[in-house]
Amino acid sequence: MRNIRLEHVSKAFGDDIILDNLSLTIPSGSFFALLGPSGSGKTTLLRLIAGFDTVDSGQIYIGDRNITHVPINKRNINTVFQQYALFPHMNVFGNVAYGLRVKGVASDIIEQKVRRTLQKVHLERHIYKPIQQLSGGQQQRVALARAIINEPDVLLLDEPLAALDLKLREQMLVELIDLQSELKTTFVYVTHDQFEALTVADYMAIMNYDGEIEQVGTPKEIYEFPISSFVAKFVGSTNLFHGLLIEKNGGFAMDIPELGIFEVAVSERRKFEAGSSLLMSLRPEKIEINKEEQAGFANHLTGIVQAIIYYGRSTQYSVKLPNGFIVHVFEQNEEHFPHEVIDYDDVVHLYWQKENVVLLEK
Amino acid sequence: MNRDIENTEVSTNVSFFMALPAFVWLLIFLYIPLLVIIGLSFIRKGVISAWPDFTLSNYFTFFDSLYYSILVRSLLLAFVTMAVCLLCAYPIAYFLALYARRWKNMLLFLLALPFGVNFVILAYAWFFILEKNGLINSILTTLGIISTPIQLLNTEFAIYVGMIYCYLPFMVLPIYAVLEKLDLRLIDASLDLGATRFATFWRIILPQSMPGIQTGFFMVFIPSFGEYVIPALMGGGKYMYVGSLISHYFSVLRNLPLGSAFTVFSSIVLLIVSLIFYWRFRRAT
Repeated sequence: MRNIRLEHVSKAFGDDIILDNLSLTIPSGSFFALLGPSGSGKTTLLRLIAGFDTVDSGQIYIGDRNITHVPINKRNINTVFQQYALFPHMNVFGNVAYGLRVKGVASDIIEQKVRRTLQKVHLERHIYKPIQQLSGGQQQRVALARAIINEPDVLLLDEPLAALDLKLREQMLVELIDLQSELKTTFVYVTHDQFEALTVADYMAIMNYDGEIEQVGTPKEIYEFPISSFVAKFVGSTNLFHGLLIEKNGGFAMDIPELGIFEVAVSERRKFEAGSSLLMSLRPEKIEINKEEQAGFANHLTGIVQAIIYYGRSTQYSVKLPNGFIVHVFEQNEEHFPHEVIDYDDVVHLYWQKENVVLLEK
Repeated sequence: MNRDIENTEVSTNVSFFMALPAFVWLLIFLYIPLLVIIGLSFIRKGVISAWPDFTLSNYFTFFDSLYYSILVRSLLLAFVTMAVCLLCAYPIAYFLALYARRWKNMLLFLLALPFGVNFVILAYAWFFILEKNGLINSILTTLGIISTPIQLLNTEFAIYVGMIYCYLPFMVLPIYAVLEKLDLRLIDASLDLGATRFATFWRIILPQSMPGIQTGFFMVFIPSFGEYVIPALMGGGKYMYVGSLISHYFSVLRNLPLGSAFTVFSSIVLLIVSLIFYWRFRRAT
């Protein structure tokens, strides 16, 4: 296996410490997303792997090969740049052929490979077009083709879709997933967009503002079982309540001041002791909202609707609780004519199951 | 969409009026004198009467190897000046644009500074360097490389030194201007795709700087060809170039038709040579 391993990597620019003693393993052949807010150091991390910058300390391996001090053009890693960085004085063919040309590959083999690679990204009709005549999406594909034609061990993608509009972005995400499963190359995808990361990734790592990796896991693990309040807030949105974990009827419950006591399930993954002061994270879509009282739910709150935002496929309600706290709730708009219309200032009941709560350390 | 079109029309109008003074200026001080010169070149000397006597004989004068040697010498001067300027200017511009960082403006200022001074004064500065007891000769004799001072001033060597010195900024600035705007990520991308530093320079940086090289080429080559002051001062008037010959016709011999004819003739030669280079550049980019 040719995993990428970063061991105790540190990087500073002047006095500005970007990465401090960071370790990370990226599994070979996976589609790996590196998700973090702007300025979290994820691009720095990518540049270290690519070799644009060198580490201050620490080691980088691909498989057993230590590439820490291997110059950029000797690493078998290629990058798709944020603004593509296509060579403006060359046409599509020239750009895609570049990596092979500088390695001195015979021109008939180059021709074959360029054609085959352009087919993979659906650009075979534009092979001799100047770069300037291509749309943003097409330029993106040229950048992809230019990188994958070299059959790299690792393909790095630095916010590759940031310049595209939403529809095109969604389409490119699907194509990227297809391409990755066809090539079996390790893709490392850097983004600040949680939607992109959740969509493409087999595994993802969440970086915080201090350049630390908070959590690594599958998108589902990250979303359903965030390890910290940062991850819970950064990936998706959530409602956080401060409270005290207590024992109740042989199970656990959270005692939240001014709101009451709510049953929670303590997962096998994180063992918490009764008596610890914790955060309770409750995703907006896990809450049931209703004007009528309902049975069958472990937990219940009432509140008054403060704001309604209609998103088309779902609606977000902001509900004010008795203690003044605002809870956000998503509801799918699954019925064409909802029999029960929730309006501003309505009193509503909020329900959720104890399994849908995630407990976090403060 | 409509508003865009309206705006374009307005700006075309505005830019027309803004260009008008420059156009009038060029008309009065360039195009009309040029037509006068061309007209004069077809007139027989001394016969400026009511209806001048038109002739082609002025041009037949130049079927003489003397004139070709002067043309060739001027072309050589222009070409060598351009070539040496290019070789010196490219590294300077490259350094300024890519590595000088916060010293950039300071260094550009220092580069342009000598040209705020009249060239006659600069030429005298060179006299101190090049003369018999000047800087170069005293260094060479002290080092024991030569025993007696060599003649540097009033040689073609001095002319070339002066030309290169004088025209260097005209090559540095256009190349600097393109390199300054060079997208550095292209260099990253090239290295990332496995190219060496040299290949990156050859395949990415150099082609990207061609517009600047081309501008610098013509900004040095064309005026060098007709340069009059520098050969006169640095060469002590011993060497004839196109500029010196034209000046000789007009101010010494007072032969306006012949001077005009030679001006037209040499301009055509320059035009043809420049066009050849222009096409070469077009093909290269």
